[in-house]
Amino acid sequence: MYYPEPISKLIDSFTKLPGIGPKTAVRLAFFVLNMKEDDVLDFAKSLVSAKRELTHCTVCGHITDQDPCAICQDETRDSSLICVVQDPKDVIAMEKMKDFSGRYHVLHGAISPMDGIGPEDINVPSLLNRLKDEEVEELILATNPNIEGEATAMYISRLVKPSGIHITRIAHGLPMGGDLEYADEVTLSKALEGRREL
Amino acid sequence: MHIQNLTLKNYRNYQQIQVPFDDKVNVIIGENAQGKTNLMEAIYVLAFSKSYRTPRDKELIQWNENYATIEGTIYKRKRTFPLEIQLSSKGKKAKLNHIEQRRLSDYIGALNVVMFAPEDLNLVKGSPQIRRRFIDMEIGQIQPLYIYHLGQYLKVLKQRNHLLKSLQRRQTNDRTMLDVLTEQLIEHASVIVEKRFVFLQLLRQWAAPIHKGISREKEMLEIKYLGSTDVSEVENKEKIRKAYQTSFSQIVEKEIDRGNTLIGPHRDDLVFYVNGKDVQTYGSQGQQRTTALSLKLAEIELIRSEVGEYPILLLDDVLSELDHYRQSHLLHTIQGKVQTFVSTTSISDIQHDTIRQAELFHIENGIIVQ
Repeated sequence: MYYPEPISKLIDSFTKLPGIGPKTAVRLAFFVLNMKEDDVLDFAKSLVSAKRELTHCTVCGHITDQDPCAICQDETRDSSLICVVQDPKDVIAMEKMKDFSGRYHVLHGAISPMDGIGPEDINVPSLLNRLKDEEVEELILATNPNIEGEATAMYISRLVKPSGIHITRIAHGLPMGGDLEYADEVTLSKALEGRREL
Repeated sequence: MHIQNLTLKNYRNYQQIQVPFDDKVNVIIGENAQGKTNLMEAIYVLAFSKSYRTPRDKELIQWNENYATIEGTIYKRKRTFPLEIQLSSKGKKAKLNHIEQRRLSDYIGALNVVMFAPEDLNLVKGSPQIRRRFIDMEIGQIQPLYIYHLGQYLKVLKQRNHLLKSLQRRQTNDRTMLDVLTEQLIEHASVIVEKRFVFLQLLRQWAAPIHKGISREKEMLEIKYLGSTDVSEVENKEKIRKAYQTSFSQIVEKEIDRGNTLIGPHRDDLVFYVNGKDVQTYGSQGQQRTTALSLKLAEIELIRSEVGEYPILLLDDVLSELDHYRQSHLLHTIQGKVQTFVSTTSISDIQHDTIRQAELFHIENGIIVQ
């Protein structure tokens, strides 16, 4: 209404992003007006190419610009160890740790009958096929510690158990460097449940 | 413990009021529809972060306003601290010591409240839902983990019911997923039932002598847990879990047929016996009321024994519902120990020292007139 059309369109586009309200959108749009033209072009190009050039790896389901993805192609990684996660962002988090040398399988969600999401709506069938074809010794279930993530982990473990593959679930409990006294009761009771022998 | 001060803003029919309360008995007097119950409800919401009258928080906000706040200064364990509930169209914030508590289980329990309203007289003869709410609310106040397990249980229950419906309509055939959800459900159900058993044993200890006292030594009160699976109350979580596993495996076909979860703590009930007879079915109106009163008084003592201090008691329009003898028994029990809020249309028919010494607040149309 108050803005010329090109900028009001830009503001509208920004509001579609998560975490950005009308005021921030206006601020970003005006910032773009003052940017160098090359930078703006680069920005626009990266937006389009992120959308167009990225696909999901046909092996593990991670986002990638080449298929199979870099992790699946990397011969130095341990192919007998697969870590199952819910989201591509979880792979990034694990990779930042630089301590995991196995491969991944990204489910893209969790089973939730309430939302009409069954096992076949997330990458469970491709995981089962993969376990048949590849020599996998251990499957680490690293889905989120909430009801849906927990149910998904239990579901996969029931399907895979008969094959004799070793199945593990990541631990839940206290954050490192934290204080016991600040932990909430639920986390604390989980930590106590998962205590181990020293 | 007691509330020293209560501030309401845009809450129901209160635009803005600040009330300093007496630490003993506060009587709120007013005609009908002036805001007596709203004030009682505000204290309840401050304790539990939700109302007992409506599940919709929006109704608590004054008409045409965007937000409402309830603030209270609480005195507990020889310290004072602020509690605050903010309600807006965007949601709800619960603050303890000015710090927002994201988990309800971190907030509930800071202020302990026992409410006794005319609806509570239905505790005995009303639907099982009323009795389940009663135990859930009381355990939640003294055990924050209980609220967590109950919340998780209800979430799994919802998932499981959806899956049972799709199995019923043959949209899916996934029995493995059903097994997983059953296992998750049992996990939380066994914790809930175990904690309910522990709570009931405590409640019994307090309720039986109180009931005996109110009935002039004539009645013996017993409370039984009516579970949907066959376990006795002395059994531990493991045994409860095993019992549920057996029950669920027997009932699964029927559940798919009906498209619904048929057993679990969400369907359990309490049964009250007076002198061996089921009060709900065979008790007189008077016995039912005495039972409800004994339970409420037992709750006060139970919270004191668990928390170390008496909770706050809200008597919303309930004194006039009790006969003279029960009235004075109730007032005698709380005398000088429990901060009590009494709402009534008139105090002339309540003859008791406790009320005569009380602080009076006259309410007219959302304003306190001294």
